[in-house]
Amino acid sequence: MPDLILILSLTALGYFAGTWAENRHYRSIREREKQLLHIPAITMKDIPYPDGEICSSRLVEGSAVISIDYFKRLLAGLRNIFGGTIISYESLLDRARREALLRMKESAPDAAVIVNVRIETSAIGKYSSKRNIGCIEALAYGTAIDLKKQ
Amino acid sequence: MNYTPKLPGRNHNVTPVSPLRELLVLLGGLLVVIVIAYLLLGLGADLLVSHISPATEQKMATVFSSRFSSHNKPTPREKWLQSIVNTMQEKGCVDLPYPITVQVADSKVINAVALPGGRIMVFSGLLNIVRSENEMAFILGHELGHFAHRDHLRGLGRGIVFAFISTLTGSSDGSIARLAARTVQVTESGFSRGQEAAADAFGLQMMNCVYGHVGGATDFFTHMPKNLDPGHIGHYFASHPENKKRIQALLVLQQKMGYQIGPLTPLPVWQKDTVRKKN
Repeated sequence: MPDLILILSLTALGYFAGTWAENRHYRSIREREKQLLHIPAITMKDIPYPDGEICSSRLVEGSAVISIDYFKRLLAGLRNIFGGTIISYESLLDRARREALLRMKESAPDAAVIVNVRIETSAIGKYSSKRNIGCIEALAYGTAIDLKKQ
Repeated sequence: MNYTPKLPGRNHNVTPVSPLRELLVLLGGLLVVIVIAYLLLGLGADLLVSHISPATEQKMATVFSSRFSSHNKPTPREKWLQSIVNTMQEKGCVDLPYPITVQVADSKVINAVALPGGRIMVFSGLLNIVRSENEMAFILGHELGHFAHRDHLRGLGRGIVFAFISTLTGSSDGSIARLAARTVQVTESGFSRGQEAAADAFGLQMMNCVYGHVGGATDFFTHMPKNLDPGHIGHYFASHPENKKRIQALLVLQQKMGYQIGPLTPLPVWQKDTVRKKN
């Protein structure tokens, strides 16, 4: 019985705390995405400006680490048995990628454009799964182009 | 090429499904699968049990012999218990293909178990609260009933199925394994209730055969310490409402079979002293 109570309380805690944190994070993401919409972050390698207009170029990057909660882990564990889309991890990855992109843009607020943008994801603590630790990191990087002041 | 800043209207990377609904669907599916698998595999174990010969059972018993190693010399308590069982077998009350050995294990647990190979393990916690030989005879008769019905092997079979399911679901997440274990336990208790009732009836029959009456059969249920830690109670006294049902079933059977109530046989003097000291 104590086992069951522990599982239920951790799942409930994971659900309520996790949902609260996720909603809060999404609100912040949407707000900041609007604010930084003027900086184009594109995957093209070509710079859409003539050489004469460019003042400088530099590497910019942003990364975010998002942790999994107990509820999401339980859902994913159940999904592992039956197979199919693990929807509980989708929002986790989505948040990490968007947060990383935002942080990348925030590190170059004056850039005219960020070209050659790439996003990479890696799992952290995957060897500690027995200790119930697990989170993912998303890293976004690209080349920020600053233009000469006219 | 012009850059048109635009936010995506809808998030295509996240499926708009309520996580709670997903949990209910998956959990429900898992529970159904576990129960069906347990029932089917348990049924297989039951079928197999009827084909296990006494010789094979003796071989299986060696697995337990290391865990419950036998003493070199039987204690007075063991000799006493053994004599009750021997009387039952000598009087022809029960026909088992092998001799039954009774052992006492030191533990606070109030229980006795039937192990493969004809061994009855009585825990000292139980011995410390019996008040008459008749009570003890009912308990030993009940355990003999498990041997006669081969419940002890059935229990093993289901135990293996239980371990198998736990391993199967345990690979992905520890919590799911625990959840599965809990489900199987609930299913298991339903099965064992029927087995316990059959063994109770057998115990009553044994008492009537040995003593010519069934006095003291239900005494044990009634004078259980009320404030006892539930973890120490074995399969005799799973829960209070369950006890009442069992006492009622025994009384009904007693009337149906026309069993008489007679005077109780007292405990041996040294056993009485032990009980007094412990209480």
